[in-house]
Amino acid sequence: MGTYEPKIIAFLCTWCSYTGADSAGTARLKSPWNVRAIRVPCSGRVSPELVLRAFDQGADGVIVLGCHIGECHYETGNHRAAKRIPILKSLLEFVGLEPDRLRLDWVSASEGERFANIVTQFTEDVRALGPIHWKEEDRESSDLSPTFDISLRSNGGEQPPEIPMDWEKATQEIRDTARTLLANQEVDCVIGYEVGPRGWTRPAFVHNPDDVDRLVWNPHCTHNLTRYLREKASGNGEEEKRVAVVVKPCDSKSLNVLLGNNKFTADQIHTIGMICPGIQEGAGFGNGDSATLQERCLHCGERIPLVYDTLIGDPQSVPDFEVSPRGDILESWSGLEPAQRMEFWLSQFDRCIRCYACRDACPVCDCSPCLYERDDSLWTGMNISLDQKRTFHLGRAYHLAGRCVGCNECVRVCPMDIPINLLNEKLNQEIQSAFDYHPGFNTLPSPLTTVLDQEN
Amino acid sequence: MKIIRQKELLSWLDNIAGEQKLIAPTLVAKTVLYRPVKDSSQIQWDHTLPVLSAKEALFPPTERLLTIEKTQGEIQLTENLPQGKQVLFGIRPCDVQGILALDALFLDTEPQDDYYAQRRKDTTLVGMACEEMKETCFCTSLGSSPHDATGMDIMLTKVASGYAVKVLTDKGADLLQDLELDPFEGELPDPPQPIQNVPNPESIPWAEHFEDVFWEETAERCLSCRMCAYVCPVCRCFDVRDELLADQEHLKKFERIRAWDSCMREDYRTIAGGHNPREEKKARLRNRILCKFLYYPEQYGVMACTGCGRCIDACPVNIDLAEIISTMAQGERV
Repeated sequence: MGTYEPKIIAFLCTWCSYTGADSAGTARLKSPWNVRAIRVPCSGRVSPELVLRAFDQGADGVIVLGCHIGECHYETGNHRAAKRIPILKSLLEFVGLEPDRLRLDWVSASEGERFANIVTQFTEDVRALGPIHWKEEDRESSDLSPTFDISLRSNGGEQPPEIPMDWEKATQEIRDTARTLLANQEVDCVIGYEVGPRGWTRPAFVHNPDDVDRLVWNPHCTHNLTRYLREKASGNGEEEKRVAVVVKPCDSKSLNVLLGNNKFTADQIHTIGMICPGIQEGAGFGNGDSATLQERCLHCGERIPLVYDTLIGDPQSVPDFEVSPRGDILESWSGLEPAQRMEFWLSQFDRCIRCYACRDACPVCDCSPCLYERDDSLWTGMNISLDQKRTFHLGRAYHLAGRCVGCNECVRVCPMDIPINLLNEKLNQEIQSAFDYHPGFNTLPSPLTTVLDQEN
Repeated sequence: MKIIRQKELLSWLDNIAGEQKLIAPTLVAKTVLYRPVKDSSQIQWDHTLPVLSAKEALFPPTERLLTIEKTQGEIQLTENLPQGKQVLFGIRPCDVQGILALDALFLDTEPQDDYYAQRRKDTTLVGMACEEMKETCFCTSLGSSPHDATGMDIMLTKVASGYAVKVLTDKGADLLQDLELDPFEGELPDPPQPIQNVPNPESIPWAEHFEDVFWEETAERCLSCRMCAYVCPVCRCFDVRDELLADQEHLKKFERIRAWDSCMREDYRTIAGGHNPREEKKARLRNRILCKFLYYPEQYGVMACTGCGRCIDACPVNIDLAEIISTMAQGERV
């Protein structure tokens, strides 16, 4: 590999780092020619899509350089880079990128020497790693069957307590609440659950008080119905619509995220909160009869919704309890080499058919049009091929960082059993440790959209 | 009919895998898919139906149609016709019905699709009769059956001593020519019976159901994802686009690809100027179902549904084709 010269993409803030590069040139300091500089108005402008795109286009390493914190031309633009790039980096490491291939640093306009040192060191670090095997055409083997085992289920640990639930009584209370709300014209529609002719539980939309007897509450009510609020509660410039929605504790978290994102106002929504004993494995499909709780429910610390207008079920029946977090799954990854992580994730993404069900079932994944579905192929092509599938999944996971509440609908709906929730869990873990932020527990915006705290 | 014993069958398949591409049901993580296998040991025998249909062997999710190279003042086009023979082993009757429905469009209607035609010509279909029908199967409502050999080159049916072999075409006979098989004596098992009772969609006056309120009620829970179309053995909508491969000073290289597309997605029907005649979910659902039972039969002479039930199994919100057919058969509601 004597002839290998790494391709380095450097995103340089025009105010500091780009000028810093100029200073290096004026001072006749040597910096490696491998670096292709891209001048950007601010390091905060370097969205994760740009970094991903650079790797997708064949970069061996990407470096983002901005002004020192406190010296940003736009005051807090670089705060965004300081928050976002490390989170992106943790995601890319998780799926098998070597950590040394992505770097964020600060160079001021006068620091020519610092610029030269940083890019030289970065180039040498990337050179030492050898050529990147990111794109499908650059990989040595097309065999995608991992030779190691990875645990996708948590060890269990502390089990949540059993909550007594009178399903029939709760069903009746949902119907009574819905009837009253519709009869009094407090809402235009009640979004709840019904059982179809096949016996499978599914979302139901009730517009008429005479129709409320369709509604049910049972251990198969798995769907996150807040997903429909973007269709049912959006104003669309017309009169604001009011809807009632049945939520479990997990769904109430996504409701909080949506409220925090100002998708609609709280007074448009009448929340029918359910005390939730947990939902069964296989719910929503024909195999929903097993008595096992879903994995997410075994690790859910909430049995009472965080927000509600009407509460159904007895909150007194819920004891104080603690559950073990799912962190042990992610810990089992720490011993894996980058190449093994990549092998694992490619073998997973390989099955994806880009049906977008994960995105379309997600309550908070609601950009229109989706970045990865644009007609101009700006961020990724329309191929249903491995590289494009990975770009979609990584981009989507990043977009959900600090917004994913772990309802796991994405995994339930995936026809190919791809454990995409692990990507979201990894990012949420990073966000919790960096910002002590737990998505959905309040309506505060994600820390990735705000500036650094004063003390930082 | 002949009989092939398990051991002969496996070595025959291993020989095939050594000479051409062998596609068979195989376990990928937790899902059974029709995928290329290296040898017979990778084949999954105990299953009802793979999650995806066999259409991807003939109509892949993405294929490169052309390579376009633009050098100074010159444009060169290179066609990428598929190459190489393949055997689709263990294909279920409903999936072969699906291929016959695709033939009606890609082969039997002018202009013929060269890419599909090439693969079709190079593919031998070795079918396997179903031993059971799953809850959502309704091929029998569409005039087919779990033992239907129509369209296959070879049909295998599991019997006590191995598999009964029925050779239906010359292509099938060629694949078996090196084998000396004993004649099959005995009775074939009766085909399994459907678990659900679904009316024949041909008996429904679909055009009269255009304004049925059922469309709105059902589509309300639709997520507008593409899953039903992608798991379907007959849905064949695609998009074609030129995408940049290399952008250098003296050479620009593009590929013209086609990739699966789905009429269920929101912007599928959007036209230049931004108008979308099927903006509403109910219009998209109605279109997909009427395509299956009204438009496609009118244009190509066959129904665009095989009763495999995959869309029912896969739909995350239980939009249920059997329920749609059963409800429509009861008459129109406006």
